[in-house]
Amino acid sequence: MQALRLARPRATLRPYARSITATASGHASAASPASSSSSGVIPLSNVEAQWEQLSADEQLTVHQQLEEIQKKDWNTLSLDEKKAAYYVAFGPHGPRRPANPPGTTLKIALGTAAGIAAAGVLFLAIRSTAPPPPKTISKEWEEAANQRALDQKMNPISGISSEGYSGKGFVTHK
Amino acid sequence: MRAQLVASLLRARPAPVVRRAAFAPAFVRYNSTHHEETFESFTERYVTFFQQAQDLFEVQRGLNNCFAHDLVPAPSVVEAALRATRRVNDYATAVRIFEGIKEKVENNQQYQAYLDELKPVREELGINIREELYQS
Repeated sequence: MQALRLARPRATLRPYARSITATASGHASAASPASSSSSGVIPLSNVEAQWEQLSADEQLTVHQQLEEIQKKDWNTLSLDEKKAAYYVAFGPHGPRRPANPPGTTLKIALGTAAGIAAAGVLFLAIRSTAPPPPKTISKEWEEAANQRALDQKMNPISGISSEGYSGKGFVTHK
Repeated sequence: MRAQLVASLLRARPAPVVRRAAFAPAFVRYNSTHHEETFESFTERYVTFFQQAQDLFEVQRGLNNCFAHDLVPAPSVVEAALRATRRVNDYATAVRIFEGIKEKVENNQQYQAYLDELKPVREELGINIREELYQS
C-alpha cells in the first residue's frame, strides 16, 4: 500500500489516503472527489449508526466533510463531530471490526453446555432402552463359579485352589 | 517529496554512535552490529520527528514506530505528536494517541499521570480522550 500511495501525486494523495486507511474496502474504485461531492450532506450525528449502510460515495463525502471540520479549532467542535471523526477513522468497522463481538463468550458457553446436555440425554435414552445384563453377571452366579473352581481344584499352584489363597476368585461384585 | 521522505527515513534510524558518545551512559553493552539507544536520545529523536512531520501518513508512521518499542514514550514526545496531529488537522489520530498510551502503560495510575501531565495541551487543543467521547 505504501508503494501505491507514494506513487500518487501529492495533490490527490490526501483524500485517497484517508479513505484507504480508514475504511475497509470499496474505495479503491471510488469515483473522483469532484463527481461524488454532488451527493447530499449526511448528518454527522448519526454516522456511527448508518456507516455500514452508506455507499462508497457517501462515505467519501463524509470523509471530506470531516476533513473540513477538523481544520477548525478543535475546541469549537461539537461532541457529535468529534465522535464522528473518531468513529470514521478508528471505529469498529472494516479491518477493526472485533473478531468476537460482545456476547460471544456467553454464546459459546451456552452452546457447549447445550451440547453436553444433549449428549447426556442421548446416553440415558440409549441406556433406558438397553436389554438387562446377562444372568452370569450376578453375585450368586460368581460365587457358584468359585465353588465349582474349588471342586475342580482349578489353578492349584498360584490361583484359587492354592494354599492360603486370599483373593476373591471369580467374584467381581462388592 | 522524495527528498523529504528519504530524509525522514534516515531520521527514523537509530542515532549513530558518534552522537551518543556525548551522553556517556553508565553501562553500555558493546555489540558488533547494534548499539543501544538511550531513552533521552529516543525522546529527542521522536520530538524532532514529530515537529518536522508534515502529513498524516508521516505522523501515523512515526506513531507506529514510536509505540512499537518496549517503553512508553515520554510526555514531550506525546505533546509533539499531538501538535503534529493538529498541524495535519486530524482529530481522530490525536484521540488515538491516548489510546496508545493506555495500551502501553502498566496500570491506571501511570495512565492518569500521563493525562494529568498532558492536561494543558489537551485543553489548549481541545482533545477529548476516548473515555470522554463515549462516557454517556
